[in-house]
Amino acid sequence: MSGVSNLVYEYVLSEENYSEAAMIIEEGSHGDSIYVVLKGQVKIQKKTPKGTVAIDTLEEGDVFGEMVFLMKEKTRTASVVANGPVLVGILDSERLAREWESVSPHLRRVTTLMAKKLRDATIKAIALAKG
Amino acid sequence: MVSKQTGKTKTSEQTPAVSRLKYKRGDLIIKEGDYGISIYQIIRGRVGLFTESEGTETHLATLGPGEIIGEMTFFSGSSNPRTASARALEDCELEALHPARLSKEYAEMPRMLKYIIDQEFKRIVRMNRVITELDIKKTRKRQLEQKNPWALYRKFYRKEVDFDCVYRPLNTPQRVVLEGRIKDISKGGLRLDISAENMSHFSHQLGDIFFISAFLPTGEHLGVTAELASLVKSRTEEPLSLGMTFVRITEQTNKTLGFFLMP
Repeated sequence: MSGVSNLVYEYVLSEENYSEAAMIIEEGSHGDSIYVVLKGQVKIQKKTPKGTVAIDTLEEGDVFGEMVFLMKEKTRTASVVANGPVLVGILDSERLAREWESVSPHLRRVTTLMAKKLRDATIKAIALAKG
Repeated sequence: MVSKQTGKTKTSEQTPAVSRLKYKRGDLIIKEGDYGISIYQIIRGRVGLFTESEGTETHLATLGPGEIIGEMTFFSGSSNPRTASARALEDCELEALHPARLSKEYAEMPRMLKYIIDQEFKRIVRMNRVITELDIKKTRKRQLEQKNPWALYRKFYRKEVDFDCVYRPLNTPQRVVLEGRIKDISKGGLRLDISAENMSHFSHQLGDIFFISAFLPTGEHLGVTAELASLVKSRTEEPLSLGMTFVRITEQTNKTLGFFLMP
């Protein structure tokens, strides 16, 4: 039994398997795919001058890779690594982009600014942990 | 892109401002734990976001013109209290956004986008909690360091040395004599490197009192009573570094040490 809702499956175009410690997204690389964890777990990691830091662990139903989309970032803001064997779904980003365009510019801006807060909060948390 | 438009130039396409608000430096705009649905856009000035926990105020972020505050409650559903406080860091001008219109637009947002944004929101809340916890830990550590005599001792002039010594714990009925190497010494204390094996003969706890006996390179005897103030495990496992602050030192030894430390 999977904890992933039907809503999510409606957007899954393809599925990919990764083995333990495989890198799904590399920080700083280009790419605009948005993923969802279908089975297993992934770790979010960020590079710092003092080494790599694990920021968060995502589980079934959790979306990742969305920052590029929400913030119109050019490169990936963090790495995502398989935490044990994991099955991920690649979401229909064209459909999401179309839907995103249908949202009022105003609400879009509020959302983008919230995503920016997450990015800034992450940077701050890392600085505190490593400082 | 930051919109610098003012209320006057806004077209009907954009959300009309319900009001312009002015805050003086230091004013609280949003209070953590309160209930409220207003969302504000900063027009002028800087606003600080912070949380308060266990008497420690943790600064989360500083926001400026074009940025928005109060949207967290909006995304979490207005039945939830404010997750952080917002305070004017300087004289500020804010524009209250139209919550009803935003709510309507949010309600019409495609469900999958809402699903993603909801996760985004939860991650911020989690990240802010991490920041708060780390900050409290850091504050505690700073307070502890201020009380720690070792920190004080480090302020004295320290001479780097390298000679053997023996030391024994005084606050225990156990009769143990251990060996170590003094690596630096000052008027207030010394650093003692020991092998990890010493730990198996006696548990070295902060606050333990030891008598340390050694011969200075000059041939003079040094005998001091010192308190264990810090214990640092080196990355290579061995040796361990003990920070000792003197608690009893005879006048003669003090003098001997004084001469020894003269440049």
